Amino acid sequence: MKLEPILQVRNLKKYFPVKGLFFTKGHVKAVDDISFEIRRGETFGLVGESGCGKTTTGRTILRLIEPTDGEVIFQGKNIMELKGDEMKWFRRKAQIMFQDPYSSLNPRQTVFEVIMEPVRFHGIHVDDPEEFVIKLLESVGLNEMHLYRYPHEFSGGQRQRIALARLLALRPEFIVLDEPTSALDVSVQANILNTLKDIQREFGFTYLFISHDLGVVKYMSHRMGVMYLGKLVEVGPSDEIFEKPLHPYTQLLLSAIPVPDPELAKELKAKRMKVEGEPPSPINPPSGCRFHPRCPFAKDICKKQEPPLMEAEKDHYVACWLYSKA
Amino acid sequence: MQEEYKKGILDRLADFLVIALGSFINIFKRDWKKKNKSKMEEWRLMLYALNRSPPGLIGVFLVLVFIFFGVFGPRLAPWPYNYFPFFDNGTAYLAPPGTQVYLPSHETIMSLHLGADHYGRDLLSLLLAGARTSFVISIVVIVLGVPLGILLGLIAGYYGGKTDELVMRITDMFLAFPALILAIALSAVLPNRLQAFISSHAHLQSFVLWLFGLHMREAGNLGRLLSVILAMIIVWWPAYARITRGSTLTEKENLYVEAARAIGLSSWTIMFKHILPNIIGPILVYITLDFGSVILMEAGLSFLGLGATPPIADWGRIVYDGTQFFPKAWWLIIYPGLVVMLVALGWNLLGDTLRDILDPKTRRSIEFKVKKTKKMEEKEGEENA
Repeated sequence: MKLEPILQVRNLKKYFPVKGLFFTKGHVKAVDDISFEIRRGETFGLVGESGCGKTTTGRTILRLIEPTDGEVIFQGKNIMELKGDEMKWFRRKAQIMFQDPYSSLNPRQTVFEVIMEPVRFHGIHVDDPEEFVIKLLESVGLNEMHLYRYPHEFSGGQRQRIALARLLALRPEFIVLDEPTSALDVSVQANILNTLKDIQREFGFTYLFISHDLGVVKYMSHRMGVMYLGKLVEVGPSDEIFEKPLHPYTQLLLSAIPVPDPELAKELKAKRMKVEGEPPSPINPPSGCRFHPRCPFAKDICKKQEPPLMEAEKDHYVACWLYSKA
Repeated sequence: MQEEYKKGILDRLADFLVIALGSFINIFKRDWKKKNKSKMEEWRLMLYALNRSPPGLIGVFLVLVFIFFGVFGPRLAPWPYNYFPFFDNGTAYLAPPGTQVYLPSHETIMSLHLGADHYGRDLLSLLLAGARTSFVISIVVIVLGVPLGILLGLIAGYYGGKTDELVMRITDMFLAFPALILAIALSAVLPNRLQAFISSHAHLQSFVLWLFGLHMREAGNLGRLLSVILAMIIVWWPAYARITRGSTLTEKENLYVEAARAIGLSSWTIMFKHILPNIIGPILVYITLDFGSVILMEAGLSFLGLGATPPIADWGRIVYDGTQFFPKAWWLIIYPGLVVMLVALGWNLLGDTLRDILDPKTRRSIEFKVKKTKKMEEKEGEENA
C-alpha cells in the first residue's frame, strides 16, 4: 500500500553560524542536505543521537526556523514561499508538540485561554467555547474540572495533554511530535503514546515523530529515518529497519538497546559491533561518509566520496557504499 | 517550616477585599468569579504575604498617606500656597513653629504649626501643596518614561540581531551620562521652548495648572516645571529598556513562545500577550522603587535651583530656599527633608516587600501553612465533637 505524500522535504539545509570576535568562524551543519517524504496518515519516526539535527529538522519543516536552503512541499505548496493568508493556512494545518511540558504552556494563561487562543486567532467558529474546550479536554483524558486552572496546578503528563488539546483545537493534518514523552516517566509515557495513537486513528493525523528512544519509535512509527550528524543515513519501513538494519550506524544504534535478559545480553554483547569514539563535530564533519572514522567496514571510497541515499531494497533507502551496486 | 498560620484581623480583611473585588468585577463580566478562582486565590495569598511583613505594611501605610495628600493636599492646606501674609504685616517673616499671627486684612489668627518661610507663608500648607507637585511629577515621569523603556526593551530582546544592536547602542548612549548631570543639562536647556509651547496651547496649559493645583498666575513658570519632568523622562527610560531586554531574552527561549509562533500569532501579540505578562513582576518592583527615586531626584533638581520656582510649592525648593537661613530657621530644612525621606522610604519598603510577594515560592509556602493549619483545626474540631 503506497499512500500519497502529504509532505516532501527536498535538499533541506540549516547551517547555524558560529560567531567569532569579529567574523563568522564557521557553520554548525545541523541539517545538511536531507530529503524524505511523509505519507498521509502515517507516523514517520526520526531517530538519532543528541545533536544530530532531528529537532532542527522538525522545526525547519514548520518554518519555526528559516532554512539555509531547500524546499518543503506541503500539500503541493512550497511552504518556504508562503506569505500572509497562505502562511496562516499552513500554521493551522501543521502543528508541533514539544518535549518539555514545563515550558510549553504560558504560566499566565488558564487552560481555557491556552486552548481558545489559536481557535480565536484562526477565526474558527465555535458555538459554545466552554463546551468546545471541555470536549477537547475529554478527548485527551482531562475533564471540565481543569478548565480554569493554571499550568502550575498540573503534573507533567497533564500539561502534555493540555498541549495536545491545544493542537487538536485547530484540527491540523500534520503534527510534529518533538520527543513528546522524553520528559515524562514511563507509565505516563505509555499513556500519552496511546492517546496519540488513538487520536491519530480517530482524526487521521500524520505524525513526524522525533525521538531518541528506539523502543518508542518502534511502537509508534510506520516508517522511519535514521539521522547521523545532520545527514539522513537510512529510510524505510520501521519493521524492516528493526529486523534488518542496513547502515552500520543503524546497526550500532539498535545494538545499543538494552536487553532485559542478562543471559541474552551477554550473548549479544559478544556479537555486538565494535565501534569506538564520539560523533565528530558538526562544524567540521569528516570528508566522504560522515560515519567512516567510526565505521568498522569503512573502505577507501568512504573517505573520499559522500554516499547518496540509494534504494537498497524496495522502499528501503540507505546511504552507504557497502550497498552500492557500482 | 513547622509553624502554623493563624489568621489575624488583617488576613480577614484580605479575604474580604479579594471577595469584594471579585464580586465587583463579576458585575461587569459574567462568570468572572468562577473562571478566575485560581487568580483570586493567588491574590489572597499575596495579601497574606504582605500581612506577614511589618516593613511592607509600614511601606503601604506611608505610600497610602502620600497618595492621599498627593490628591487632596492642596485642598486640605489651611492656606493657599500663594498667600503671602508678609505683605499684610511683616510679623510672619521666618516665624518659628507654633507662632500665631493676627491678620488684620482677614480679621483672623493664622496658626503657623510648622513655622513660616521667608515670605511668611505657612510651611504646613506648603508641604501639603508640595505633596501634589511631587505626586504628579512622579506619576507623569513613570507613566511616560517606563512604557517607552519597556517597549524598546521588548523589541530589542525579541527581534535580536541588528535591531537589538541599534536599540541598545542608543540606550547605552543615554546610560553613559550620569543621570543627574544629563537631567541638569536638559532642564537648563528646555524651559524656554516648553514655555513657548505651553503658552500657545491654552487647553493644555489650564489642564497642567489644574493637575498641579496651581493658580493661573503661575502659567509663566510652567516651562521650568515641565522641563524637569521632560528631562527626567529622558533619563528614566534607558534603565527599563535594559532590564526588559534582559528578561525578554531569557523568556523568549521558553517553548510557549515557540508554540505561539507555531499557531501563527504575530510578533506583537507574542511580545505583549505572552512575554510581557511573564516579565512584568521584576519590572513592577523596579517601578515601585523608582517612585521614590523620582521624588528624590526631583527634590534634588529643585534643590539645585532647577524646576519649580516660588511661589510654586515644592519640597526640594523649600529646602533650597531654607539653606540661606540655616540654622536659625531650621524648620525650613528639617520638615521638608523629613517628608521627602519618609515618602522615599515608604516606596522603597513597598518595593522590597513586593519582590517577596510576587515570588511564587513565598506564596506556595504560605499556602502550605494555611492548608496545614486548616486541616489541624478540622481535626481538633472533630475531636472536640
